[in-house]
Amino acid sequence: MIITKKKDFQELMENIKNYKSFFLIGCSECAALCGTGGEPEVKAMKEALEAEGKIVTGGIVAKTGCQVLGTKTELKKYKEEMDKAECILVMSCGAGTQAAVEIFEDKPVYPTNDSLFLGNMTRFQMFDERCSLCGECILDKTGGICPITACPKGLLNGPCGGCKDGHCEVSPDIKCAWVRIYERMKRLDKLQELCEMTLEAKDWSASQKPRSLVAREEKKR
Amino acid sequence: MSFKDALDSVRFVVTAEVGPPKGTDIKEMIHHMELLKGRVDAVNVTDNQSAVMRICSLSVCKIALEHGLEPILQMTCRDRNRIALQSDLLGANVLGIKNLLCMTGDHVSAGDHKGAKPVYDVESVQLLRIVDGLNNGKDMAGNELKGATDFFQGAVVTPEANPVEPQLIKFEKKVRAGARFFQTQAIYDIEKFRGFMEYARKFSVKILAGIVVLKGAGMANFINNNVPGIRVPQGLIDELKAAGKEKALDTGLNIAARHIRQLKEDGISDGVHIMAIGMEDKVPVIMQRAGLL
Ligand code: SF4
Ligand code: SF4
Repeated sequence: MIITKKKDFQELMENIKNYKSFFLIGCSECAALCGTGGEPEVKAMKEALEAEGKIVTGGIVAKTGCQVLGTKTELKKYKEEMDKAECILVMSCGAGTQAAVEIFEDKPVYPTNDSLFLGNMTRFQMFDERCSLCGECILDKTGGICPITACPKGLLNGPCGGCKDGHCEVSPDIKCAWVRIYERMKRLDKLQELCEMTLEAKDWSASQKPRSLVAREEKKR
Repeated sequence: MSFKDALDSVRFVVTAEVGPPKGTDIKEMIHHMELLKGRVDAVNVTDNQSAVMRICSLSVCKIALEHGLEPILQMTCRDRNRIALQSDLLGANVLGIKNLLCMTGDHVSAGDHKGAKPVYDVESVQLLRIVDGLNNGKDMAGNELKGATDFFQGAVVTPEANPVEPQLIKFEKKVRAGARFFQTQAIYDIEKFRGFMEYARKFSVKILAGIVVLKGAGMANFINNNVPGIRVPQGLIDELKAAGKEKALDTGLNIAARHIRQLKEDGISDGVHIMAIGMEDKVPVIMQRAGLL
């Protein structure tokens, strides 16, 4: 899921200081799980804004905030509340915010969160980054552990000289990705494979931005 | 005799290090070069060592050449993508810089520009392959070069890494990728290093053992606690402690000289790489005490 973090409230107030009235849009998917845009957070935001003397004309928790058409449909019945608001505040990720930008052509749309990474939830509201969406997955070659993400240098052929007692030179809190890969390949009895393989430099054109994808088969006319 | 020829001969080879300064005042660096001239077979020129921004390795290599020293260009993957790496390599080659040390490079978080974007578009094994390609007249994308390079390329290895197995797997990848020589991270336990060399001798590469002078017991303890891949045995720490504050450095120099002498006399390695780190003037002293001058 997409991991988000609330912006500092004072910073948010500074960003929106020129507006008085707001319509809030949360998201029931990732943002709800991150505690940044579910029901309780939208309610809390309403109260916090009102305490600052702002007006909240209404709000919803969109089912999937990054889905443009679905969110647009969900929003239809809030026309009056939205019309009354000077500014739309989006409480999901950058994709959700930009879905709203597409929907509200004539209104300013502001984010309440910082979007961080694609993450795994390891425990309640604890997240780890394990995939950088590189566009060409090599997990099949690295024992299912992604060195592009788990190694701060994204090294593809083994550890650097900075590995200390199995930990990373960048932070003792991180286990060296290549020690993890080594240990896993050993457990899977695949060390030979690891020894013999030299990975080519990545083709970064596979992650050239902005990316788009048409996954559906176009209907024949 | 060139560095490459020296390694191919039976001679015990000595390399040292020159650290480019941060700024344009190169007087002290030139002085260090003068001290090393005629005494060592080649000097490594570090590449923004510890991710601290300084004069680039390439131009200091050129200055070394002008001062009669044979340079080894250290090339890290931290700051340059594949285009910049290859372009710098072609540039180095036409300037007469023939020896290369291909490295990953310390992460920017270790340095003085912590907000920099780390590059690592390729890494050390892939860089060695790139160099092999350039030597064979082809760039990384397979395009024909108008004139091939003639590099003598090497890499680094950390025999004391913990755990060591992943490091050795990478060492073998570097050998297969075309590394001709290796300079090791600092070693202090000669008997353990002997074990590593027994393994490394299976490969047809030359190995220079890394030597870093211990200035005292404090430095030794600091290394053990903070520096990855280096282990100072307790015996040496005791020896430095026993020497007392005044004699500590002198004892450190003696230890370095003793290790070099042993590596040479027992034929353990093909030579040594002395990293003086701020004590370049002591390199001739060490060499003298080791019986190399
Ligand atoms: S290789 Fe890593 S970054 Fe790329 S898709 Fe696979 S998990 Fe994600
Ligand atoms: S210590 Fe391991 S995880 Fe950290 S940068 Fe080096 S190879 Fe990557």
